[in-house]
Amino acid sequence: MTDHPGRDGSPVTGESGDGAEPDARYTFANERTFLAWSRTSLALVVGGLAIAQLLPPFPGIPWGRHIIGTPLILLGCAVSVTSYLEWKASQRALRHGRPLPRSRLPQILAIAITVIGLIAAALALLSAVGVP
Amino acid sequence: MNQPPGPAPAGEEPGDDIEYADPGLARERTELAWTRTAIAFAALGAAILRYRPVVGLVILALSAVVWRLGRPPGPARAGHARDRRPLLITVTTVAVSLAALALSFLGPGISPLH
Repeated sequence: MTDHPGRDGSPVTGESGDGAEPDARYTFANERTFLAWSRTSLALVVGGLAIAQLLPPFPGIPWGRHIIGTPLILLGCAVSVTSYLEWKASQRALRHGRPLPRSRLPQILAIAITVIGLIAAALALLSAVGVP
Repeated sequence: MNQPPGPAPAGEEPGDDIEYADPGLARERTELAWTRTAIAFAALGAAILRYRPVVGLVILALSAVVWRLGRPPGPARAGHARDRRPLLITVTTVAVSLAALALSFLGPGISPLH
């Protein structure tokens, strides 16, 4: 499929050379991907808030919960903003028949969660052996 | 959309993709995705409601707005890079996460334990 005709078969041009209306299924798929990332970011925010407020404090490390919770909430923020930018870029690419840009979100998420997990493991170990 | 052709010609989309036979399913799946997102907002609002009733109620009201956004008045708005709904979701999520950040440092306002 090299071009994306509009509903009436002819290319639909937006108000400012906005490209052509893509196949509706691609638009919907792009929207679902964005919504899935949005739910991921909400889950990160909920997780960060729950850790900061509901977890019992680490013995000997009073700021331990915030060291885990705050990065999770900020990560949720970053995932939300990035997913919007990527939705917009993908929609532009669809409208112009260009290849979809590669998503950076899996990399961001994997690295950030690895780092936060390592910090959490270190905190758990430190509080178990007892910080001087 | 064009009428669904039978088996897909070689080199095109696979014919066993059910959306290829009925593109309306794509719309339905997307509406369900909006519903899940609204439920995620509602869950966050309900979780905060126990400690900060005002903040929780605001987020619950936002979840109703998100649910409504999943049912656009017509197909005209979908497909445009200028569709404002994703931006609205992102702005809301950022605002909610900033509120969550503040709450995580302020501590629970009302303890449900007494």
